[in-house]
Amino acid sequence: MLLGIDVGGTFTDAVAVADGRVLETVKVPTTHDDLLVGILAALDHIVSRCPRQISRVALSTTWVTNAVVEGKLDPVELLVMAGPGLNLSGLLPVTPRFLTGYVDHRGIQVQAPDDGELQQRIPKTADSVYAVSGKFSVRNPDAEQQLNAWLKEHRQAEHVTLGGKLSGSLNFLRRTNGAYFNAAVWRRFKDFEAAINQALAARDIIAPLVILKADGGTMPLTAAGEMPVEAIFTGPAASVMGIQALTDCRGTMVSLDVGGTTTDLALWQDGQPLLAAGGAFVERYPTAVRAFQLLSVGVGGDSEVRLAGEEVVVGPLRRGPAMANGGTVPTLSDAMIVLEEASFGSRKLAEAAMDQLALPGLTVREKAETVLQAAARQVVVAIRQMLLREETKPVYRVAEITQPVILDLQGVIGVGGAAAPIAKRAAALLGAACVLPEHGEVANAIGAAVSRPTLEINLRADTVAGRYSVGELGLEAALPVGVRTVAAVTDFAKQLLCQRATELKMEQGESEVVSLESFPVVKGFNRSGWIYQCRMQLTPGVLMRLEEA
Amino acid sequence: MERKELGLVFFPAFDWAISQTHPERQERLLYTRDQLLEEGVLDLPQIREYRPGMAEWADLERVHIGVPGLESLVKDAHRVAAGGAIEAGKAVCSGETARAFALVRPPGHHAMRVVHGTRGFCTVNMEAIMIEHLRRHHGIGRVAIVDTDVHHGDGTQDIYYHDPDTLFISFHQDGRTLYPGSGFVEEQGGPAAFGTTFNIPLPVGTGDAGLHRVLDELVLPVLADFKPDLIINSAGQDNHYSDPLANMSVTAQGYGRLAEKLRADVAVLEGGYSIEGALPYVNLGILLAMAGLDYSRVIEPDRERCPAQSADVTAYIEKLIQERRQTWRERENLKRREIARWGDEWQRRRSVYYDDSGIEEEQRETARLCHHCYGWQGIDTSSRGSFGRKSAYAAIIPRNACKRCLQEAQDAVWSAKQAGRHQYYYIQNRQTDCLERIGGKK
Repeated sequence: MLLGIDVGGTFTDAVAVADGRVLETVKVPTTHDDLLVGILAALDHIVSRCPRQISRVALSTTWVTNAVVEGKLDPVELLVMAGPGLNLSGLLPVTPRFLTGYVDHRGIQVQAPDDGELQQRIPKTADSVYAVSGKFSVRNPDAEQQLNAWLKEHRQAEHVTLGGKLSGSLNFLRRTNGAYFNAAVWRRFKDFEAAINQALAARDIIAPLVILKADGGTMPLTAAGEMPVEAIFTGPAASVMGIQALTDCRGTMVSLDVGGTTTDLALWQDGQPLLAAGGAFVERYPTAVRAFQLLSVGVGGDSEVRLAGEEVVVGPLRRGPAMANGGTVPTLSDAMIVLEEASFGSRKLAEAAMDQLALPGLTVREKAETVLQAAARQVVVAIRQMLLREETKPVYRVAEITQPVILDLQGVIGVGGAAAPIAKRAAALLGAACVLPEHGEVANAIGAAVSRPTLEINLRADTVAGRYSVGELGLEAALPVGVRTVAAVTDFAKQLLCQRATELKMEQGESEVVSLESFPVVKGFNRSGWIYQCRMQLTPGVLMRLEEA
Repeated sequence: MERKELGLVFFPAFDWAISQTHPERQERLLYTRDQLLEEGVLDLPQIREYRPGMAEWADLERVHIGVPGLESLVKDAHRVAAGGAIEAGKAVCSGETARAFALVRPPGHHAMRVVHGTRGFCTVNMEAIMIEHLRRHHGIGRVAIVDTDVHHGDGTQDIYYHDPDTLFISFHQDGRTLYPGSGFVEEQGGPAAFGTTFNIPLPVGTGDAGLHRVLDELVLPVLADFKPDLIINSAGQDNHYSDPLANMSVTAQGYGRLAEKLRADVAVLEGGYSIEGALPYVNLGILLAMAGLDYSRVIEPDRERCPAQSADVTAYIEKLIQERRQTWRERENLKRREIARWGDEWQRRRSVYYDDSGIEEEQRETARLCHHCYGWQGIDTSSRGSFGRKSAYAAIIPRNACKRCLQEAQDAVWSAKQAGRHQYYYIQNRQTDCLERIGGKK
């Protein structure tokens, strides 16, 4: 059986699934002082109820997100080799040291790092962590690797994050930010990793332990130890994967995860949730961390309800719990309770809350319906915005302009505590179907339990120069003879991806081409070869779908 | 929507080429795309990226007269590039962005009013299509175009030759040494618009220093005198020292400073064929400068290759600036003299060669001088190519046409049709915003 554990802000959920069924679920309070206490309590509960062989334990934890939000970050020595271009001063989370050495867009190392300069400029501090990022390092990793070797030798660096290893995609700014945050959480995450391993060993659990990433994929905990930043924002990601396991998404869908103060929207095309272009924003810094494209709307169960003129406005503020639970201002939950679409707290108090709203001529129930409609309308505005943004995102080929993708929304999926009343009304306003999967309340833990590993490589092959590079692998080498056509390049990329997956001890599934570009290169007036850029990934998704209980 | 410093329309048309080995091919903006992505500029809060639309046929026909029609000459790629320029213009006119840069291909500044084919890699004129769209739909009046491509923007000059509301300034490598072989100081506009075509032909080997002298002492003062509502930059990048098709020595820093001083509202990419050595850096420099960001670190890896500007070149440019300043100061007198010289009709004959299509065009152009409006123009055109011969007569009626000019222009087309010496007859009416095809061959 597969175990999934999701650490949320309020509850830590755990589930066991096997053969397409949910065997057991549990909710325990999240233990904020030490997340591990709650994780193990949930785990022990499940294991004691399901005495089956565990084939995998998957953990989705807010550990990294919390470290960043609470500023529990180690000081990082950020070293950048920016070469010519944008001046990064003031754009990074900390002041970097700009060093000599850079690679140009062709992957040619124009300038190597300078040992004398390094000796002079990089202070000798004990137990420093380092982040190193070089422009176009994904085209040629030499400069980053030279700096890495130097730091290990001359500064006894315990850890160095290399931007080019974190992501093989072009975007120096994002790689640099990602490398910084990765280094800043690395040491504490190591401690967390050790504690988990110890706890599992003490329980004789030998199943592989994987951790969920922001893109909804899993990676082995050992790999996460080197790239902890990948495990940021896993809450929403786990929920998205849960939806994938619990529903049969086809076509264009939007999913709503309705929480206490916000509704997180994700957009789906052909059964796949879409990724954010470029990566996730951490704090307010763009990073190269692969993450879902999510939009957060300030509408949740505890959102304050007020009148602006004659308009009902829901959120974005929370001023305490629902009046049904002893709060002081009307909330969205109060409206749900009045209409029997939620059941907690005091119904009388919820009715009093709705009655406070100065909407002349309406009964208490009608007022509650007005409130829910207003909340649904706010969510619909955000959904339309998300669809429009996707339909008008920049494209670079004529055919994509002449035959644009028109997104025809087929369904609205609701998960999370307060999802049903909002999803139902939003779907009606959009003329789409409404899907409310079973087990929606533990979708996050289910998502973690069944999520497949994700891994991506970016191969650039230049047949003119006879070279290829793969950022994620820190590779820049001679292109094997025979790799000269689209088909051969694709096969080669696949082979490299499998190699990488094996190194990381990931279970091998299908792989797929994310994007493939080929450009004829002309020197003088003859075609001299091709440049291919191939992005290949393990096919993301779920290990099993869950039947309706 | 919060206002951003810069709107960027980036459209490298990765699936379009004039032909597989033509300089205007898929690979042209590949390295620029790589550089922009790697720099992370699209993630900066100052910049918003826009997707181009498809320009409508009406947008194209507001500017061009295709013989026999534009449909057979214009590809989707041209309509998207023009649509990209329009999108950039709209971002600025709507106030969404302070400036905009349309990094689009194919280019357009060699495309003239009458189109028989493709010349200098251009089929339709992106800037003119954008300007006329903004005039029609966004209430834009006076416009200045500063063409900083190394080749003379003869197409743009032709389209605005009789329009006193549009100032066309072009500095370029002297036409005696480079395609298209025009852009001399004597070309100053038709009588009604005399002085609003302003050419600055520069000597081979002009570098950053010469370019900035020209900018500081000529271009910027002339712009200040003209007081346009909108400044458009035809941002060709082939003045770069590494460009394979020209012989100048401008650097990415020179271009960045140019963009910073010019403060164009909209820049539209034109030429530039040093696709690996120049475009990634020059485009980045222009983009950062337009967004108000620090571009001082945008330096080509091989900048030491850039030859210094010689003393001869410097001296030549000094003299040229003196002469051009003098002409500009006296423009009102010169205009009066020009009007007196031509009486009530200006005319010229010329040949236009379409190098990409192998077409020879012969044109006889007339311009009516009128006290009440800008006057109408007639174009008698015939061309020879692999298709045999094509010929047409067209009249262009200005935005502010008076009753008499309107009537005269229509009469001219009808009598030409009765004479029957052409295959096609057109009236491009700027007042009603439509291009009428009058009978003739279908």
